[in-house]
Amino acid sequence: MIEFQSVSKKYSADALALNDVSFSIGKGELVYLAGPSGAGKSTLLKMIAAVERPTSGSVVVNGQDIGKLKKAGVPFLRRNLGVIFQQQRLLNDRSILANTMLPLIVTGASTTQAEQRARAALDKVGLLDRARAMPLELSGGEQQRVAIARAIVNRPQIILADEPTANLDRAAADRVIDALRAFNAVGVTCMISTHDEQILDAAARVIRLEHGQLVGGAA
Amino acid sequence: MNIWFRQHRFALGAAFVQVRKSPGSFLFNVLVVSLALTLPFAGVTLLDNVRPMSEQLSVDPEISLFMKTDATREQAQALAPQLQRILAGSHAKISFTPREQALDNLKAKSGLADVIETLGDNPLPDSYVMKLQGFTSSADAARIDGIADQLQALPGVDSVQVDSAWVKRLAALLGVLRLVLLLLAITLGVVVIAVVFNTIRLQVLTQRDEIAVSKLLGATDNFIHRPFYYTGALLGLCAGAVALGAVALALRPLNASIAEFARLYASEFQLTPLSPLGLAGLLAISAGLGLVGAMLSVQRHLARLN
Repeated sequence: MIEFQSVSKKYSADALALNDVSFSIGKGELVYLAGPSGAGKSTLLKMIAAVERPTSGSVVVNGQDIGKLKKAGVPFLRRNLGVIFQQQRLLNDRSILANTMLPLIVTGASTTQAEQRARAALDKVGLLDRARAMPLELSGGEQQRVAIARAIVNRPQIILADEPTANLDRAAADRVIDALRAFNAVGVTCMISTHDEQILDAAARVIRLEHGQLVGGAA
Repeated sequence: MNIWFRQHRFALGAAFVQVRKSPGSFLFNVLVVSLALTLPFAGVTLLDNVRPMSEQLSVDPEISLFMKTDATREQAQALAPQLQRILAGSHAKISFTPREQALDNLKAKSGLADVIETLGDNPLPDSYVMKLQGFTSSADAARIDGIADQLQALPGVDSVQVDSAWVKRLAALLGVLRLVLLLLAITLGVVVIAVVFNTIRLQVLTQRDEIAVSKLLGATDNFIHRPFYYTGALLGLCAGAVALGAVALALRPLNASIAEFARLYASEFQLTPLSPLGLAGLLAISAGLGLVGAMLSVQRHLARLN
């Protein structure tokens, strides 16, 4: 489903974000991405979402080579991904429901259909009763669950979560991880980057990066 | 419903949302753009009113020959072969107007039929009108004067009038006005594009987070660009409507003054608004200028954001 082969990413001559990274992730796997700040975790996730392209090597997602993907094809690749950011990046001028509907609206879904599916997604993360609330009226944990609802509303094959539990207390972090595990349980491939050792201790597979190099979890 | 149509409806809705978020700013921009549009729209309206007049006027040299009032019809008609001889080679169209017909025409055109009736005798003479073709240069003007002298010397002729120079001057003046209006329209069109360009630039900057998130969620470039295009077109359209409204309002006091002036020449000339098709055309041009400004701005500023 996701395959990195000898991937390197240089931002400049002396800024090597990833160095010869190779691994593969199968369909339905739950993989954690660990490493200190600046290890290259975010760069790696950005490559899967085609935000960045490799300087060398190949990144294949759902059979599509990111390095060769044309600009016009990028939106269609991203529609099969659910992306959760460290800062939730919700649009503060519209309701939770409208935020959750957005991935469907951009694909041309009807408002009625988008609203139905957004309500179902908010129900799954336990926030249906806050559908009309604005993002700033919610706690950090609730906002992150809205971001999860937004990520899963278009029924993606892959969920990418970049530090989704950062800045959350233990209880909120556990709820977020539980929600992601629940989606993985129904066959969605999940890749979650985190610093949280408590979460990593319970993980089946952890890919570890240090200074842009893979130091564990390749297979 | 077709996805394409749905996405355009969404984009239009998003444009209206943007307008609703900052109505004051939108209105201010509409006013600025409408100021730039009012002058060329007024010019177009004026030319549209004057054009039919100038088209009815002949710009070919025209010579009118008036017989003496005591000359007989036979004397007048006997001149025809001599006129043809003098005008040979001038591609002239010669028409004879009997004095009775001239009187009827005067009654019909002047609106003074009752006054003319009181005159008793017909004071008008028989006349010929000769339209010459192919006379355009200053050398031709000298030839026309020569022809006029020969005509004046014919028996029974009272006066000969060469009547074309002022019509030519009017046509030339209208040509210059048209050119000035075109240059003015181009200049002010650039002003409109610049204002819309800047307005959309500010909107792109304000919405850069939303744009970035939408892109990560799978939005295509077209999906992101469209609301800005609609905003630009909407701005142009509203400004065009305001400018046309201002021109229509200005016509009332102008017509009051023109009516006074025209009455002195027994005319009922009035400036009228453009036809619905003309108005729709100007509104389409306004919206088009707004769209062009938005497209240029979006292409430039979104490329920078990317």
